[in-house]
Amino acid sequence: MGLFRPARTVTGPDGDYWELYVSKTALPSWRQGRGGAGDFAGGFDARFDLLELPLMVASAVWGLLIAPLLRFVVLLPVAVVRGRRSRAVRIEAVRSYPAREVFLWTTIDGRVELVLDEIVAGLAAGKIVHPEGAVYSGRESD
Amino acid sequence: MLERLLAWLRGDVSASALDRERNRCVDAYDLVEQLPNGAARAAAWAAFALQTYADKLVAAAAAPPYVPEETVALALASYRLAADCLEVARNGGGVVPPAPPRWRTPVRSHDQLVGMRQALDALHTYLAFELHDEHAPELARLDARRSAVDGFWIEHAPPEIRGAIGDALVVGIDEAYALGRRLFETGES
Repeated sequence: MGLFRPARTVTGPDGDYWELYVSKTALPSWRQGRGGAGDFAGGFDARFDLLELPLMVASAVWGLLIAPLLRFVVLLPVAVVRGRRSRAVRIEAVRSYPAREVFLWTTIDGRVELVLDEIVAGLAAGKIVHPEGAVYSGRESD
Repeated sequence: MLERLLAWLRGDVSASALDRERNRCVDAYDLVEQLPNGAARAAAWAAFALQTYADKLVAAAAAPPYVPEETVALALASYRLAADCLEVARNGGGVVPPAPPRWRTPVRSHDQLVGMRQALDALHTYLAFELHDEHAPELARLDARRSAVDGFWIEHAPPEIRGAIGDALVVGIDEAYALGRRLFETGES
């Protein structure tokens, strides 16, 4: 079971390539704030903008990178501990091309292989299945 | 003590707020035993089932006497419907609700699931006694719901699993409620 290595891979009838990841940890979502200096609907003053530029860059770096990273780093241990103390197991089917899609099932220890088999068979046939031993949560939003 | 403090900080409600409504339907447990099969007994069963549901939810709260607000709302609705059903059982007229009240959110807490599970078990036991058979075919659907719940019942379940367990329990309680009404209305048992 690993976060970064797929437990199974499968190709659908249309050539869609799916990777199935099995994990006990629900990674915290990456939530970006608003980068830049906000709304300039009222027009631009070139001299003013030049002075504001470093602030805008700093704001963008903070909102798009540092704040989400800090949030992720703080929440990650909580997510890991929560995952370790539960018998719940997440199975994510990820397709990266032509558009990224992620589907989520949740099952429990001891049923993972059986559920994986059913999901793989379904994806190979071009279907999203609802195995009896798992809870299907549908498409995940990143 | 800490749980009580947290419950108070969360804004949980004291279970005593439910006493007035509960007292209105306290006869449900006896009445369903006393009446002969027919419309009145079916209504008394509905009152019994609704009261059992509410009682189990309140009893399963982790920090008594404080009960989460959403649990209180559902228990209150259940007690009120149970009182209405008792009126139907005693005096005729009126309408028995087709199903127990619904939760306002999709995911249940562990304590709510425990209460729902205990309510389903209690209704199942009563129906099995009435049918004189723990494995009566009429109970097969209820048994399937209970098995589905058992299959996913784990400590520290994530919201996805608690949602699924809650759904199975809601359906099971609905089925037990409807089965009892059929049995006691027609006297098939």
